[in-house]
Amino acid sequence: MALSHSRRRALTLSALAVVSAYGLYQAGGVGNGVRGLAGGALRPFGWAVNLVATPIGHLLAGAVNYSDLVSQNQQLRSELGKAELAASVNAGATQTLAALNAVLRLPFIGSTPSVVAQVVSVSPTNFAATVTLSKGASDGLLPGMPVVANGGVVGRIIATTNHGSTVRLITDANSSLNVTFGKQATTVLVDGRGVNNGLSMSGIPVTASLAIGQVLLSSSLSGSTMPGGLPVAKVTSISVTPGSSTYAASVSPVADLGHLSFVDVLLWEPST
Amino acid sequence: MSRLLAVLVVITGLLVAVQLDVLSHVRIFGVVVMVVWLWPFCLGLLGAGPAALITGAVAGLCFDAHAATAFGLNAAVGAALAAIAVRLGRNSVGDVDGAAWWTAPALAAAAGLLAPLLFVGAGAFTLDFSLWRGSLLTTMAVNAVVFAVVARPLLIGTRVITGLAPSRR
Repeated sequence: MALSHSRRRALTLSALAVVSAYGLYQAGGVGNGVRGLAGGALRPFGWAVNLVATPIGHLLAGAVNYSDLVSQNQQLRSELGKAELAASVNAGATQTLAALNAVLRLPFIGSTPSVVAQVVSVSPTNFAATVTLSKGASDGLLPGMPVVANGGVVGRIIATTNHGSTVRLITDANSSLNVTFGKQATTVLVDGRGVNNGLSMSGIPVTASLAIGQVLLSSSLSGSTMPGGLPVAKVTSISVTPGSSTYAASVSPVADLGHLSFVDVLLWEPST
Repeated sequence: MSRLLAVLVVITGLLVAVQLDVLSHVRIFGVVVMVVWLWPFCLGLLGAGPAALITGAVAGLCFDAHAATAFGLNAAVGAALAAIAVRLGRNSVGDVDGAAWWTAPALAAAAGLLAPLLFVGAGAFTLDFSLWRGSLLTTMAVNAVVFAVVARPLLIGTRVITGLAPSRR
């Protein structure tokens, strides 16, 4: 009887271990498993807070901002019309560009397959500029893949689970990206300056001319972490130190990183 | 004790949910106010002792589960703030009844200034030396001001709900 009791206990523990191991495997490792457990434990509290806060927030926002909403709607309709017109005009140009790239054997982003993903949460901390996407490894996403939205580069995937992924935004303090500009195709590093602080660019040779408002594109140099030709940032100010052989510039992301809802993940991996 | 534990679990869960679902979207000068740091500090001032340390660690871990920074950093900061507050609470420093009215807000402001520095320092142990490059000074200033404003109401509310009070010497 004692043997059967201990056997039963061993069997139960083994079953629990197998279920836990499977759970951790599904969650994508021990770290993600712990994160998932903590997230699961907090879900009822989050649900309770949302249940109260969301209707109140919507009520207040609706009461105060209704006229803004109407004018934004009209503005969006106007912009949609312009965008549709531009899309029609661009369709022909895109075909021509693709044909030219094919002849010149250059990479062309228009032909890169992509996956549309929803932004499900924004980093809740002051020390990391990241967003979480609704799609992950099971949709073919891998760490390192570039993410674009709102007309420009948003960032790169840094971690994936089966059904989710984390994107490090280009403004994150750990982010740096090769960009190119000008007729001489000058290549410089653009660094993130942290949450809400935009981007910076230094070490620009004085021989390379740069104008405020100029758009910087991702570099297509061998070993780059992004495919070439993607709009990354716009120059907002230039600071020149007299006597120096280089100068610096402040730049801001082309994509509006404050209003991300859906993004395109390019199924592109850096060449080795 | 079991009632206190249950109350602490519920309040901590709700505060972490508010932190994640509300405060992370209502940024002041681009800064998220970290209630998950203030909460264990207030518990420590109220004499919660080890419960404050555990609450700080658990609230921090729950928050860390949703952040892209190294797992455990917020837990370490929460526990460290709680440890400091427990020592102060043992000596009735910051007691909402016994000390001057401004003592608790001043201590909370100091905690708000210190906490981001502790976070950046703890980040260095995980070999992440980039955390200071964000809005560290703004984060310190905003958290200090908000902690100072919120501390006293939070202390009084917590004392009413939990019945906690620092031991008098």
